[in-house]
Amino acid sequence: MEFFVYSEDSILIKFSYKTENKIFNSIFSVKKKIELDFNKYITDSVQSINSLLIIFKKNKISSEQLIKEIKDKGYKINFNKLNGKIWEIPVCYDPVYAKDLEEFSKSKNISSSDLIKIHKSKIYDLLSMGFLPGFMYLGQTDKQLHCERKLEPSLDIKKGSIGLALDQTCIYPQDSPGGWHIIGVSPLNFFDIESKSPCFAQPGDKIEFVEISIKQYELMKKDRLLKPNFR
Amino acid sequence: MIKVIKSGLYTSIQDNGRYGYRNIGVPSSGFMDQHSASIANMIVGNNKNESLLEFTLMGPTLLFNNNYTISFTGGDFELMINDSKIEMYKPINVKIGDILKVNHTKSGARGYLAVSGTIDIDSFLGSKSFFKNITRSNYLKNGDEIKVLRKKKNKNFYNYESKLEINNLMNAFKGPEYYLLDKESINKLFNDEFIIGLNNRMAYNLEGKIQAKLNSIISSPVLPGTVQLTPSGKMIILHRDCQTSGGYARILQLDKKSINNLAQLKVGVNIKFKLL
Repeated sequence: MEFFVYSEDSILIKFSYKTENKIFNSIFSVKKKIELDFNKYITDSVQSINSLLIIFKKNKISSEQLIKEIKDKGYKINFNKLNGKIWEIPVCYDPVYAKDLEEFSKSKNISSSDLIKIHKSKIYDLLSMGFLPGFMYLGQTDKQLHCERKLEPSLDIKKGSIGLALDQTCIYPQDSPGGWHIIGVSPLNFFDIESKSPCFAQPGDKIEFVEISIKQYELMKKDRLLKPNFR
Repeated sequence: MIKVIKSGLYTSIQDNGRYGYRNIGVPSSGFMDQHSASIANMIVGNNKNESLLEFTLMGPTLLFNNNYTISFTGGDFELMINDSKIEMYKPINVKIGDILKVNHTKSGARGYLAVSGTIDIDSFLGSKSFFKNITRSNYLKNGDEIKVLRKKKNKNFYNYESKLEINNLMNAFKGPEYYLLDKESINKLFNDEFIIGLNNRMAYNLEGKIQAKLNSIISSPVLPGTVQLTPSGKMIILHRDCQTSGGYARILQLDKKSINNLAQLKVGVNIKFKLL
């Protein structure tokens, strides 16, 4: 862990990036420990693939002192421990909603059904959230799905849409313009503004996609309180 | 109640912002110039983080349907109540039927109008600050009505002698990717002046380049005041409504004073950076 003063009231902790997936899991556990041990100082903490930003009350502690106290705790980076939940996200891959599925699979020289099989065969890390409140960046996708963003962004991506870009897959929590290739849609609500914890998942968790039919999608879509299973 | 007759260029309700939700992609939002906003609140006896109206370059026209004590701070806006000029940085009593017109600003870019009491709108994730997809709208529109809960007790009001000081020098810490800059770029960064281009509550684009071909980084956390260097060599300074992570090199981080200061600068103004 490498410590960096980011501003008057924030510090950045960098984790070396040699074994990315394992490092990612350990950032989550370090974040949880810091939040618990330094609860009285911390106002916000943001996790990304290889770093952790801690925002604190500058009238309570200085950045130098906070860094010292965190170092003194001697947190061990635990490579194998998985603290996050695994969420099962239902996805309908029907081309009615998966607007880019056919064109995308053609461009990759694989059949749509193979593409779906590859996409749902992996459990993804929820790497970070951003772009929109509750927008999930998930990685890493299989090499066969790696791609650039669309040259022209779509203006009307539907809420719940599942996208592909670079080595990641994503979930749009609301209607939005966007440049990811849309290959499916989920009937769940991913961001509930009325709730104190608006997202069921958080960075550090994992996402598994479970295929549903278009009929199931339309039925599940009617249930506004539907929550995903997790383990 | 206060009725919005004309909303102005970009008028919104803001408070001190949302905290604790950046990890799920929710920006902080809140007063662009926290210093001016807190003075506006203190003049009318409010808590300094109370919600108020923020306007940009061209302010709103408002009709008061009740008696209130109000105050203005920030940029040098021309203010008229029923066609007579009023002063900034002082408590002002308005009566039922008064019409307030906030014209454009001579210097500074943002103005703050505080009303003694509390603006009665829903709070989302701990804040009333307008932000698209979090609150119901992201700016006030013609015809909107703003309810204000006045304080019951008589409050103390204050005059402020201070005026807005606009400074073109941005004080900054080194950002996490500062070390990627070559010598020539570092020279340019602190010796050249950069012109403020298109900007909004999310970010300020700067004209003028310092270094080309600096690669993108793994998407990493950013904050208001983070100076990003794009692969084209141009810089972007993030502000209150910025996203929570970004993939451009973070070369500098403005200090809190400079973030407030930047909120008062208009397109075309030159700025310089200084390392803290």
